[in-house]
Amino acid sequence: MALNASKVGTTYPSYTYEVSREKIREYAIALGETDPRYVSDGDDCVAPPTFAACFTVMRGSASIFADDDLGAHHKLVHGSHGFRFGQRPLRPGDRLVCTPSITDISVRGANEMMTIEIECRFDDTGDHAVTSEAVIVFLGSAPEADTAEAAR
Amino acid sequence: MSTDPVRIDVGMELEPVVQASNLTTSTMYAGASGDFNPLHYDQDFAGQVSPTGGIIAHGMFSMGLASRALTAFAGGPEKVLEVSVRFTRPWPLGTTSTFGGKVTGIEDGIATVQLWGDNEDGNRILRGTGRIAV
Repeated sequence: MALNASKVGTTYPSYTYEVSREKIREYAIALGETDPRYVSDGDDCVAPPTFAACFTVMRGSASIFADDDLGAHHKLVHGSHGFRFGQRPLRPGDRLVCTPSITDISVRGANEMMTIEIECRFDDTGDHAVTSEAVIVFLGSAPEADTAEAAR
Repeated sequence: MSTDPVRIDVGMELEPVVQASNLTTSTMYAGASGDFNPLHYDQDFAGQVSPTGGIIAHGMFSMGLASRALTAFAGGPEKVLEVSVRFTRPWPLGTTSTFGGKVTGIEDGIATVQLWGDNEDGNRILRGTGRIAV
């Protein structure tokens, strides 16, 4: 089954995420980070840039994968990922409002590529905090692949 | 990092990050990131769906390591404007990968850094781009 390309441009409900010191610490340790601020108990604590993975990759795509009209399936690979950052690193206590959307669906050979963008803003100021962009490759479900299968 | 500022020029290379992958690193990353896809720690599951037939590391773990090299080079997360990568090969558990990069351009106070991750055989598992304030 091919993805429903008319879903490009669809925005899904926003969710909130609160950054905590212990989650930053846990993430930094898992990555073998050495900057002491990532594990600091003080006001200087900040998050590594890719800490944003913790609240975008799985959580941000959940509502998209749950959309029955989209036709997402689980024969997939993570093709690429990007983060664009705002004016400052994340800190403990930051509350973020994150809004997922589908920005592209395209065909490459037998596969389909879907781009998921998640824009995260600081709840108090509305300033841009981080934007996540993931390209998910759905294997073998391109419309042409369906046609070839039906013709057999 | 609280290191002294270093002038960043075109051609400079990042200090490489060398990382082994194993069940400990993989479950730690799963817990930290919330990505509990069993492909990354369960051999029975991986045997059915993995492109290699075995457990592979999270792609986002490899991105995090490339970003770690970039951020240390940049002088801290304040300096990192953008990181983007493509996952070009799976990273099987039990193998070691090396992440690095090189400054390819500087314009208007922003350096562009080419990022890479290589497996033990020298094949690229990740390639990408970072943009940092200089």
